[in-house]
Amino acid sequence: MSLIVFPVILYLLSAFLIALLWKKYKKISSIACFSFSVLTLISVILLGRYVFENGKIIYFIGGWEIPIGIALMVDPLSFVFLLVLNFILPIICWFSISYMEKYVKSSYFYILFSLVSAGLNGILISMDFFNIYVFLEISSISSYILVAFGLKTEQLEASLKYTILGFIGSTFILVAIGLILGKTGTLNIADFTSVAVEMNKIQLWFILGLFISGFALKTALFPFHFWLPDAHSLAPSPVSAILSGLFIKITGFYPLIRIVTNIFIMFPESKFIMMALGLASMIFGALMAIDQIDIKRTYAYSSISQIGYCALALGIGGYYGYLGAILHFVFHSLSKSLLFLNSGAIEYKYGTTKIDDLKGLNDKMPYTTATGSIGMFSVAGVPPFGCFWSKIIIIIAAVKSHFYGIAFICVIVSIITLGYFLKLQRKIFYSKVENSEVNENGFNILMPMVLLSIFIFLSGIIFSPNIKFYVDKAVEIMENFSYFQIMEK
Amino acid sequence: MIVYIAISIMFFVGIYGMMVKKNIIKMIIGVNIIGYAVNLFFIVIGYKNGGIPPILISGMGIKEFVEKAVNPLPQALVLTSIVIDLSIICFLASLSIRIYEKYGTFDLEKIRRLKG
Repeated sequence: MSLIVFPVILYLLSAFLIALLWKKYKKISSIACFSFSVLTLISVILLGRYVFENGKIIYFIGGWEIPIGIALMVDPLSFVFLLVLNFILPIICWFSISYMEKYVKSSYFYILFSLVSAGLNGILISMDFFNIYVFLEISSISSYILVAFGLKTEQLEASLKYTILGFIGSTFILVAIGLILGKTGTLNIADFTSVAVEMNKIQLWFILGLFISGFALKTALFPFHFWLPDAHSLAPSPVSAILSGLFIKITGFYPLIRIVTNIFIMFPESKFIMMALGLASMIFGALMAIDQIDIKRTYAYSSISQIGYCALALGIGGYYGYLGAILHFVFHSLSKSLLFLNSGAIEYKYGTTKIDDLKGLNDKMPYTTATGSIGMFSVAGVPPFGCFWSKIIIIIAAVKSHFYGIAFICVIVSIITLGYFLKLQRKIFYSKVENSEVNENGFNILMPMVLLSIFIFLSGIIFSPNIKFYVDKAVEIMENFSYFQIMEK
Repeated sequence: MIVYIAISIMFFVGIYGMMVKKNIIKMIIGVNIIGYAVNLFFIVIGYKNGGIPPILISGMGIKEFVEKAVNPLPQALVLTSIVIDLSIICFLASLSIRIYEKYGTFDLEKIRRLKG
């Protein structure tokens, strides 16, 4: 089934075409990037039909069977991630058409955007440790450059910090891959899973530790979080939306899901590590987000807190825990992308995201206020918006596994989240100012945000057996199968 | 065994340069050393004592070849890894040039404005 390579190839083609043509045809870059991202979305939807009919798709590159060749695989779990990723990317691309106009060489943005997207798609479809590493680096290096895209002084410093720490994370992952290669002689994940059962436990723990610290650095879980607030709050807003909404989850959280549930199944203790990391980042992110002076910094700390929920749900495990982890990923990706695009819309009009400089936006920018409020309520877990359902499922999971203290902490952190978002809303949106005139953004800025907020609203209301059927397939994979069994099925 | 110890020493020298040194250029050199250490680690994984290049010469039996030849897979991986390291170093170098233009110094203590 060669359709599987399209999510990577289309974005690489887009990067190549834009790099080739942007000097001659100025307008082509944004249009090409947007149309290629829509094409990718279509190809992913076509792919979905096959995935749910057959359970999975495997594609051997060049016809070489594993373990000799490289194989690509999409199963229901990676398909959920693939769909969310490719649904949000065109929307962010649409938003950037107006937003990036102020930069002189905005074509470079579209090239790097395509490369990040190709890398993220590649991580989701590949079935080989080293392949995952290569795609991880493609997307990471592009994202280091994107953080420094504005060339402001703080952006340069944030990018330096982000690059150094990202490099350390990648090095941990690479060393773990080297150990796997040295001990088993294979790089294929399914092959490794079938061999690993007989391996020395201490060596496996070492590999697992390297993987968890590497990917936790990419996910920005608590002790590894310190690059995130700078990088995510100082990058241009569409870049923040990609990084916070998608990048940390797909480069970090998705491999962690695979490692904890599918690859290292002989270590159920690894779930406790995830639980501890998740709890710590939940509490820390929420407490730090309370007293920030910048909107985007608040959102960045809130991201740490919410990714903590995902990791916690993964750690709790069981049907409800895994369901909660996946759903929280989906809804938080939508909401956080919306929030960062929203801060971008404010920045586009007023040139600042400092909380003290912004007042009474409700009267000046009614649509921006409405979409921003929807995003904040969703992240805070107010019914009927998306994250409410995922959070309540995580709390149910904690209660079912008799972790009553954790369920209580989940509720408390959710209340703190609502608290700092309400404070932020009252300060920037609903404060009273005199002589307010409507001064709203253009169509290209507003429409992506409206689209995302409609989708968050609907996904909250139509949380029906229809969506649950597809997510259940992914949960089934996390719950019951090792990676080897997925391939054999 | 001694090679692995040498590699880990090299790795920690790189980490030291990256974490402790305040000069951006020295940090970049630290990044470079870590990259070399990891690449060397990959090469050592595939190496055998008295090994020959993995090319089947006419007149050599398959069995002898399998016993003597080094594993070519890590070498292929190292090529990719070198390119990735190269691009990171390139980016860091250009970033440090921009930082020097803005601040007039490579000292991280003087540059630091973000709280983290």
